[in-house]
Amino acid sequence: MSARNQSEWMADPKFAEGEWVDSRIYSDETIFNEELEKIWKKTWIPVCHESELSDAYDFRTFTIAKEPIIVTRDKDMTVRAFLNVCPHRGNMIERRPSGSFKEGTPSGTPKKMTCMFHAWQFDMKGKCTYISRQKEGYQDRLEKGDVGLRQLKSEVYFGGFVWVCLDDDMSKTVAEWANGAFDELQPALDAEPLEVFHYHKAIIPTNYKLWHDTNCEFYHDYLHYHNRITGFNDAYFARKNTGFDNGHITVGSFEVNYDNYEGFESREDVSFPHLPPNHWYMIDLFPGINFNLRGSALRCDLVTPLGPNEVMIEFRGLGLKSDTPEIRKTRIDHHNSIWGPFGRNLHEDLLAVTGQGNTMNPQADNRRILLGRHENQTIHDENGMRHYYEEWGRWLNRSPSNPDKPFEETPPAKIAAA
Amino acid sequence: MSDIDRNTVETVRDAVYKSCLLQDDERWEEWLDTCDDSFEYAITAFSPEIQCDMTYLSGNKQYMQGLTKMLPKHNTDHSPLKRHCVVYDVDIDGDTATAISSVLIYQTLLDGTNSHIDAGTTRLFVAGRYIDKFKLVDGKAMFTSRTTKLDTRRLDKGSHWPL
Repeated sequence: MSARNQSEWMADPKFAEGEWVDSRIYSDETIFNEELEKIWKKTWIPVCHESELSDAYDFRTFTIAKEPIIVTRDKDMTVRAFLNVCPHRGNMIERRPSGSFKEGTPSGTPKKMTCMFHAWQFDMKGKCTYISRQKEGYQDRLEKGDVGLRQLKSEVYFGGFVWVCLDDDMSKTVAEWANGAFDELQPALDAEPLEVFHYHKAIIPTNYKLWHDTNCEFYHDYLHYHNRITGFNDAYFARKNTGFDNGHITVGSFEVNYDNYEGFESREDVSFPHLPPNHWYMIDLFPGINFNLRGSALRCDLVTPLGPNEVMIEFRGLGLKSDTPEIRKTRIDHHNSIWGPFGRNLHEDLLAVTGQGNTMNPQADNRRILLGRHENQTIHDENGMRHYYEEWGRWLNRSPSNPDKPFEETPPAKIAAA
Repeated sequence: MSDIDRNTVETVRDAVYKSCLLQDDERWEEWLDTCDDSFEYAITAFSPEIQCDMTYLSGNKQYMQGLTKMLPKHNTDHSPLKRHCVVYDVDIDGDTATAISSVLIYQTLLDGTNSHIDAGTTRLFVAGRYIDKFKLVDGKAMFTSRTTKLDTRRLDKGSHWPL
């Protein structure tokens, strides 16, 4: 059989359940909104690194599931997260991406969050400390204690990343949520303070899961010149995709021969604590976060789904706070050569997923997205994506292969641990 | 300003504008031929998000030669980039010079997303400044460095091409 007619195109692949997904999971508005409600509002989401708000009264602002979030650092250096929403009439309290409340603002006093609209003020614990003309307007009917900010669960964990959860009923800590996915990388992340040296963002027309899929598989080596020409060796192919409960996966480490990459040199002189030189290790966290440590630089992709076919990806590069200027320059150069916005690989990854986004038209015949590669859970196996969509199916109670049907556990469902 | 200085300023301005034409046309080898062997290239930006000066790409002449030579081997968005550049200031100091220019780089979409729908649409890709340094030799201005300092940090698909 060569090309196919419509009924042949629409037929289920000759694969087992779980080895393909229906393209509607990438394009359907109802499913997208369910994902925001049932997944993004219920799980731990890393929003930034603590080095981005290093001093007392510093802040950063974000969005999770369309909710505006602000993260602040108090005078005792505690980091807290709140909805960035004034309890009076719903204005966004802080419009800047980052800054400090140490100085006053046009409508407010130092060391307070001030809503510019009517000058209500809040401290770094979210307590309301000032209501303009309170007695005149509210008499005894409203007290400051009635209108504190909506605080969110937050932790600083795994190398200083700030994690936020919108669900007060989340019973797991960040460590419990990660469930072992960080075990191999944690010594490198926690040995000494990290610092962000790179930030840029992409807003692209594709579903957030398509970006995460790309981070979960290495079969797209063929996309990248260096990977195609110099990357393929026995050690490379021996790396395992390992699944963890809660939908996370890791890709095991190996030593990269950077001096085989045209134009590159060995990166053995700069690494991270407890990580052998030139080694590469990756974590893909449900529902869509990537930690990628390539020897000399840590990359972290944080995604904010904006629509079924739109996602913002924030790309960060991190080194050690203790880096000398020379070491920091080396990390930056290494990071940028592959992962920078003008580097070799990232541009190609983004081209590919925007191509996918173009074809996931909700009015089109449903695509069957094949996840059927089996190679003993090594890096060209697609077990990482199958593991992810199994978890996705549980959270939404929808079958990824046919989202009109409820989810059913399909044995053999679990990936063998490494 | 003396006539000699005026001529030198014009020479520097011409070098900046010529570089824009060469880069617009992706004539990388010719562009790098206008650069001294000591040439250093960088794309930088300040991030209010992380409150620091960042480098998005950097390399010496040899690195840039290797990078541009390998371009045909990469999967790339071929939407052409066009620079609108205005040289704001030229400072001559003996046999060196510095030029600061505003630069807007527009991208006319071709193959990057859905060519049937998008091709032909021109949009702003990045805004920033060129900070160029020169060695003045025999009436010519040779680039010793170019820093493309961007205001733009939303870079979407990015690019393989030097800006």
